[in-house]
Amino acid sequence: MSLIEVNEVSKSFRVSRRSAGISGMLANLVMPKYEKKQAVNNISFSIEQGEMVGFIGPNGAGKSTTIKMLSGILYPDSGRVQVDGYIPYRQRRDYVGRIGVVFGQKSQLQWDLPVIDSFELLKAIYRVPDDVYRNNLNRFTDMLDMSGFLNQPVRQLSLGQRMRADIVAALLHSPRIVFFDEPTIGVDVVGKETIRNFLCELNAKDQVTMLFTTHDMQDIEKTCKRLIIIDRGSKVYDGLLSGIRKAYGTTRQVDIEFAEDCTVAAMEHVEIKELDAPGGRKKRFLFESRQVQIDALMESLLAHYAIRDLTVSEPEIEGLIRKIYSGEAAG
Amino acid sequence: MTKLWPYFAFARKSFLGQSAYRFNHFIGILNTIFRIFIFWEIYRALYGGKTEVDGITLTMVTTNFIISLGLESVFFVNDYYLPSRIQNGSIATELLLPVNIHGRMLADNLGHTLFQLLFHFIPAVAVSMLFRKIMAPAGLSMLLLFILSALLGYGVLWTISFAVQMFSFWLINVWSIMTLKNVFVNVLSGAMMPLWFMPDWMKGVIRFTPFSSIYFTPIQIYLGQLSLSEILQEFMIQLFWIAALFSIGMLLWKKGQKKLVVQGG
Repeated sequence: MSLIEVNEVSKSFRVSRRSAGISGMLANLVMPKYEKKQAVNNISFSIEQGEMVGFIGPNGAGKSTTIKMLSGILYPDSGRVQVDGYIPYRQRRDYVGRIGVVFGQKSQLQWDLPVIDSFELLKAIYRVPDDVYRNNLNRFTDMLDMSGFLNQPVRQLSLGQRMRADIVAALLHSPRIVFFDEPTIGVDVVGKETIRNFLCELNAKDQVTMLFTTHDMQDIEKTCKRLIIIDRGSKVYDGLLSGIRKAYGTTRQVDIEFAEDCTVAAMEHVEIKELDAPGGRKKRFLFESRQVQIDALMESLLAHYAIRDLTVSEPEIEGLIRKIYSGEAAG
Repeated sequence: MTKLWPYFAFARKSFLGQSAYRFNHFIGILNTIFRIFIFWEIYRALYGGKTEVDGITLTMVTTNFIISLGLESVFFVNDYYLPSRIQNGSIATELLLPVNIHGRMLADNLGHTLFQLLFHFIPAVAVSMLFRKIMAPAGLSMLLLFILSALLGYGVLWTISFAVQMFSFWLINVWSIMTLKNVFVNVLSGAMMPLWFMPDWMKGVIRFTPFSSIYFTPIQIYLGQLSLSEILQEFMIQLFWIAALFSIGMLLWKKGQKKLVVQGG
């Protein structure tokens, strides 16, 4: 039994469908039309104690909905979620005291109060013992460099400051499991780096199990070994980050600079792009490694042309993910 | 007992939060005092120099509206606690707290109510009593029973709102039904016009609604109009409404949670 088990979970929403304008409004008034939107479609995965898993997908893929089901906020339509022996949505009150959740887009802090007052309120709500509270507060504020704005009202904080405060707020009661929903959204490069380092240390030192969603691939590359990708409610990849290259990184790209201007005849399974003017010296060759052998390609080119320079490049993770999202990759 | 700590924290925060709006607060007190005087002038004109109409003296009426307007200013219920959170999506962070939602809502409202009692009701009623005669309670035991009944009255007012707020799971905007609810509360509870003056058939109908248990029951006890056995019966009715409305609210809460859509990502 893993710490987090998600078993064939589905969730749909009813959205009202209304055409624009006054006639649309009137039609909607008399006979409202609804449309079922499948937010999460039969997803299963499991996460072990101490793992740090990246959870990504394009907008509207169902990431947040999944996180909300894991946090006990939403009920799934079907399937089963179990975390640390609890069914989150059924045992919500007892369960949520054991986890921490950060929503990058929704602050849990009191807007009008100084940050420290929100923390004190959370201490009372979670009944955190004094020594644990002191200890966590000092450690986290130190790691996230927050001492400068603890006494400022939340409404006066910058987005990066607020995010750091929200992260600490979710961790004051020492949860063993933490869900992050876009914890770096809108944060600058330095702030992102601070947050990433903090999460890594928390995972390594305290063995906190984490699942987090983001749109920034660098977040994932710098923190997670494992990656789950979902798209339109379904899981499309679950495995090591390095496995992505093996599974999807099959496109090879060879940039060649020829000794002189030339035109290369079309080749089977190879896409040729002109980098200079058509018929110029620089060209790009794109092909799938399982269809075309790179040595065969080079051999046939060298037989006809003189080559001055060439670079072979592997695809970037970010580009691969983009391909997975757009459904190009043949998984 | 430690289980109640979080709720004390919520009540304390809500209590302290009130002191932030000082100007608003003073205007609120003035508002209550003005309303008491306006009502007094209206009834004085209606009585037209008589001391008694249908066996109800002008002093009784004055006592009625001073107490009911006073209680109205104390009994704070945030009708939009849940609707606003569902509408703006912050219900998500609300549900992340390891507390019961009803306990959370009640604690928040009670903190506010306590503030109103100390800094609104007492000054407003004290000022009004300087100028207008109000009847003393019918004995110390009746005063204590009045306080108990007023607490139960708050319970009824609160559970009505609690149940109606749950409709926000199905309707994004509950303003219309909330307004309707408040019209019923204002008219049928005796807050605006003492129920003595209502026609008999209307009194009969009101008997079967929870509204008269809010203000009118405590006031009748204060004035000593009910016998001990009648008071006991009224307490039972108040408790019945609290239990019934709370159960309806909880049932809708359980159903609504399954329908919950968190707005805004």
